[in-house]
Amino acid sequence: MSDIPVLSIKNLHAKVADIEILRGLNLELKKGEIHAIMGPNGSGKSTLAKLLAGHPAYEATSGEVVYKGKDLLEMEADERAREGVLLAFQYPVEIPGVSIANFLRTAVQARLAEDEEVDLFDFQDDLVDRMELLEMDPSFAERPVNDGFSGGEKKRGEILQLAMLNPSLALLDETDSGLDIDALQIVSKAINVMREKDPDLAVLIITHYQRVLNYVQPDFVHVMVKGAIVESGGPEVATRLEEQGYEEFRVPAGA
Amino acid sequence: MEGVTPALNQEAVKLLAANEPDWLRERRLHAWSVYERTPLPTTRLEEWRYTDLSRTLELDSLGLPPREAPRSLAVDRYPERLRNAMEKDWDASGHLVEMDGSVVHTDLLDDLRRQGVVLTSLQEAVETHEEFLREHLATEVLPPETGKFQALNAALWTDGILLIVPKGVQVELPARISRWTSEAGRAFFSRTLIVAEEGSRVSYVDECLSDDFDRQSFVSTGVEILARDGAQVQYVSLQRMGRGAFHLSQQRTLALRDATLDTLNVSLGASVARVDLNAQLLGAGANSDMLGLYFAGDDQHFDHNTRQDHIAPNTRSDLLYKGALEGRSRTVFRGIIKVYEGAQRTDAYQTNRNLILSDHARADSLPNLEIAADDVRCSHGATVGQLDEEVLFYLMSRGLDRRQAERLVVRGFLGEVLAKFPLGGVVAKVSEIIEQRLGAD
Repeated sequence: MSDIPVLSIKNLHAKVADIEILRGLNLELKKGEIHAIMGPNGSGKSTLAKLLAGHPAYEATSGEVVYKGKDLLEMEADERAREGVLLAFQYPVEIPGVSIANFLRTAVQARLAEDEEVDLFDFQDDLVDRMELLEMDPSFAERPVNDGFSGGEKKRGEILQLAMLNPSLALLDETDSGLDIDALQIVSKAINVMREKDPDLAVLIITHYQRVLNYVQPDFVHVMVKGAIVESGGPEVATRLEEQGYEEFRVPAGA
Repeated sequence: MEGVTPALNQEAVKLLAANEPDWLRERRLHAWSVYERTPLPTTRLEEWRYTDLSRTLELDSLGLPPREAPRSLAVDRYPERLRNAMEKDWDASGHLVEMDGSVVHTDLLDDLRRQGVVLTSLQEAVETHEEFLREHLATEVLPPETGKFQALNAALWTDGILLIVPKGVQVELPARISRWTSEAGRAFFSRTLIVAEEGSRVSYVDECLSDDFDRQSFVSTGVEILARDGAQVQYVSLQRMGRGAFHLSQQRTLALRDATLDTLNVSLGASVARVDLNAQLLGAGANSDMLGLYFAGDDQHFDHNTRQDHIAPNTRSDLLYKGALEGRSRTVFRGIIKVYEGAQRTDAYQTNRNLILSDHARADSLPNLEIAADDVRCSHGATVGQLDEEVLFYLMSRGLDRRQAERLVVRGFLGEVLAKFPLGGVVAKVSEIIEQRLGAD
């Protein structure tokens, strides 16, 4: 079992609102690996993130996505999350009147069997612990989810949620954008701590910029252009991108 | 003479007033004459555009409550639903229980009694506080001339509540009023008069409950609240009547100089519920927060009609009414901010938000402004929307199933109102009822 990939995507085509965005994407993540997908705006990075999380507007038209041996595309969004696929949103949604603590407690409860109740003391300890890690004020947990948050607070809130819900596969959709260097360091540290606690955690970082990769070391870097991966390699790919820009990769390999 | 029926007529008024002082009999008969000459509101009137009384109110079929109502009743003989509701009312400065139009129980902390606080039934007050009633009952706060049903209530009230808080007295805990209606096919008229004298402070929670009815029962409540200079009043109406009830609550609040007069209207029960609330800011520095929360289901029809009258300068009012709708329910919000000439430096806000949870429910929202002063800050806003799919996806992407996600959103949506009104017991009680409703299907 140990060598079954966490995520295996083969020749994935997908569309949103009848426009094909993903055009034959291949990707494989094994346990404990960190992958980064880099690409210019409009390359389909965020589409991939939303599709993997199960957004109903994004439709796979062909290809396959297998998560821990199961057909991910057959699962509803909530089922995927309970199975361990969690997306940190690029644009987190505001939910007035619902506190972060309340929301997270409900999410933890959703992972338990029907006759089980969240242990509130354990939950509170975990929450305080994770918030300290992210250098958040304790009052943050009582604020309504993303309501009136700054861009940086929203992104930190996303990482807090992931840290509380113990994913097997963390998808970070441009979590680095809108963060200043200090916040970026804190978020990166939290991701690294999550990995120390769970060495099997697989992480897919979707980003426009190379700088986040200075803090979270990827095992693999992929370049995505026009809905497909056009180049894969080690961290050196990111460095090359930084120096040369995306121009070099405009034309998909083999086209 | 619209609305005169075999039960609701001048003879009934005279019978009620038979043993009452002359001034009160005259006041009732005057109110009755106003009722008689005022036409029944039709949907041609802006204020009744979406609530058609000719289809929702069965005035002709309603009888009055029995004349020989009990004046006291032991707690163990209260209906179970009423007892359950009251058990949660810990922390009270006093209690009053009204059943089928008669007050059957009153208590008040000794300490407050010694300080001169009065919490009593109106019937008793006719004997004990005659001069006070003569001055205040259905006079400057809610006179019969306010409207057809305000007049009917002033003519036919059988009992009600009088609360007086003397100058400077601080009542720390809320007065808890529980009102129960058990009889179908009847019209009940109750009045509430609250006077907070200068610099006093009090909160008041009125919970209105009933069984389900197979024939319509009509419950009319006239509420008069006067907050004198610097007084602080919090008034809560929690309407949890059963199906078949037509609940009409007509409230007018007068806030004098530097007074704070906050209200919360929660509408959850009854088949038809209409709330008329008029907040008058009569003294400079007066302030009113006006909150409303409704959760309609099945074929319930709720109509909230509010008015913020800024008559004095430097006054502030802030209204937030939020409602969720299920089933084939229908809600109406109509609110007006009126800033009178000379009411400079008014701050007045009005927001109504509706969340539609079913394809068959409908909410109408009609905010309005009328401003005759030039140095004011006013805003109004209204929304009618459905659950946002992006919000649901966000919640589901954390592992909540669709139903859990919907519940959380509704809870948060309505909870915003309760968060602004942190009155002991009320928030917990209303939250629990909302939880039950959300968990029901």
